[in-house]
Amino acid sequence: MNRLGKGTSDVKRSIAATACLMLAVTACGTTSQNSGKGPATPAKCEGPGGKYVIGMSQANVAEPYRQRMDDDIRSAAAKVPQFEVKFADAAQDNAKQVSDVENFLTQQINLLIISPNEATPLTAVVKKAYDKGIPVLVLDRKVDGDAYTSFIGADNRDIGRQAGKYVAEKLLPNGGKLVELKGLPGSTPAQERSEGFHETLGSKVQIVATGVGDWLREKGQQQLDAILKANAEVDVVYSHNDPMAEGAYLAAKAAGRESKIKFIGIDALPIPSGGVKAVEQGRISATFTYPTGGKEAIAAAKTLLVDCKQVEKKQTLPTQLITKENAERVYREANG
Amino acid sequence: MSLQPDVRAKRKVDWRETLFSFQSFFGLIAVFVAAIVFSPRRNGEILFLTSDNLFNVVRAVSEIGIIAIGMTFVILVGGIDLSVGAVLGLSAVGSAVLLVHDDLGVVPAVLIVLAVGLVFGLLQGMASALFGIQAFIVTLAGLQIARGLARIWSDGQGVAIAYGDGPNEAPVTFSLLGERTFGGVVPIPALIFAGLAVLAILFLRTSAFSRHLYAVGGNEKAARLSGVPVNRVKIIVFGISGLLAALAGIVHAGQLNQGSPNDGAGYELDAIAAVVIGGTALTGGRGSVVGTVTGALLLGVLNNILALNNIDANVQLLIKGLVIVAAAALQRLRPTS
Repeated sequence: MNRLGKGTSDVKRSIAATACLMLAVTACGTTSQNSGKGPATPAKCEGPGGKYVIGMSQANVAEPYRQRMDDDIRSAAAKVPQFEVKFADAAQDNAKQVSDVENFLTQQINLLIISPNEATPLTAVVKKAYDKGIPVLVLDRKVDGDAYTSFIGADNRDIGRQAGKYVAEKLLPNGGKLVELKGLPGSTPAQERSEGFHETLGSKVQIVATGVGDWLREKGQQQLDAILKANAEVDVVYSHNDPMAEGAYLAAKAAGRESKIKFIGIDALPIPSGGVKAVEQGRISATFTYPTGGKEAIAAAKTLLVDCKQVEKKQTLPTQLITKENAERVYREANG
Repeated sequence: MSLQPDVRAKRKVDWRETLFSFQSFFGLIAVFVAAIVFSPRRNGEILFLTSDNLFNVVRAVSEIGIIAIGMTFVILVGGIDLSVGAVLGLSAVGSAVLLVHDDLGVVPAVLIVLAVGLVFGLLQGMASALFGIQAFIVTLAGLQIARGLARIWSDGQGVAIAYGDGPNEAPVTFSLLGERTFGGVVPIPALIFAGLAVLAILFLRTSAFSRHLYAVGGNEKAARLSGVPVNRVKIIVFGISGLLAALAGIVHAGQLNQGSPNDGAGYELDAIAAVVIGGTALTGGRGSVVGTVTGALLLGVLNNILALNNIDANVQLLIKGLVIVAAAALQRLRPTS
């Protein structure tokens, strides 16, 4: 019996070895912790006495907004002695981000924070983490389905609505001529920031031109160059983000019309090159904050791991209007 | 008697030649050992060596590996193919659109996408060989054209692949590309990469075509004079490269459940890096698929161990760049025959 048993395991081993050779991997695994897909069991909570490693998978730190998100997480986590955060950057590549999360799983992190590059390609690997019992916090962009612990993000449609209301009630109560500068076509934020805006703008304001600036400062500038030539009268430029609004401002300045036009942006990053400073320095009249959720993510992680409590499945972050009156204070508080 | 020293000298050169042709293999072993040494540990277990992690490494390099094999053929004749990343994107989009929007079965969809890649490659080969345009220029143009086609085919947006039997759902079989086999351990893309590598190695070792390949890359004029169909060889290698880029695109779509027109951006550079680390000369005529496969695995292990140690993303780029330079520098030491 014994010998027979040993014999079959030898056969199995040699089959495994052949498979390894076939794969041209020079060494095969020491363990096979290849887990079934169990139901989502919450990680055993060790409370304040534990030590926790958090993996943060970022879609692309080359974008200032995402760099700020990482920075917010870093500074919030520094105040929680139990936390250590590891960062990965996918450089806008879905496949790289899948590997990043897999590598975090290998490192046996206790909690995953992810801001996905795109929803569908990241869904499977996020589910894999969640199925292993690792709490997953999804920031800014969603994944498909509901195999995650909590989604934290702002509501672009609502920001659009507030921008529309601000223009209709504060800037152009008696009507006027408006230019809309849109973000990258096909992207959800561009769609939602536009739709929300039109819901509350009302009928008095006339939209004389729409430009597509792909979120980029230089494209915003080019677009407004052309639009200003074609339209002798423009009162307000509504831009889907601050960099395009800054570009539009440069175009207006080149045409000598910057003092006659008000520029509205979105994002309001509290960084030196961001929208809050642009408002403070008078280039942009108003901008709406699009919070990164970094601070809130660490707070949620603390609730889950240290306080051993549940968090809401969805946390919508409120926006804030930034004008000349509060810009300086908001910037100071955000970096304090 | 007087021949003796000559023979010995020749043997010595051969020995060094062999050593250098295994350069990437030694490199892989060195990186592998370093990875074990620097691997984070948990309860005494070396995390790098867990089977999950090792197969993650192979899975992660499978797409780059597949296009790098095609790239090896092109570089062996002294060419280059900059279009592979864009063709990968085009094929990923094509797979998604055909399966989801057009409700085709897996087999026809895959065949159509492979045919598109093959024809795209062959056309680039013809433009290069028949009109005598440098491969760099032709495939740079090809890169733009493939990206443009991918944007048009997808309306500029990622096409998500949902699985099921209903309309606008892809057959469930296609989702196998994102799965693992042998008890959920071995990723299917890794198997495809391995199988393809074996095929390509055998093909290069045994076929008459491969002799033509090395002849064209070694000395095109001499090859032409001795009756090698140089143009045909050139056209075929670009066809192979396009075909394999398309295959990688199909794998990409299956792994990520989406075809997006921006997929594969910059992959051509990773593939060229794998070929160079593998010891294939960019001037053509010298190199092997074995080298390329080890080169790709080396890059994969390097990526993995840097990530496991949470080396800053920017520093990672730096280290990878230095490894490529080191591999190329080693090639300069190689005896020229």
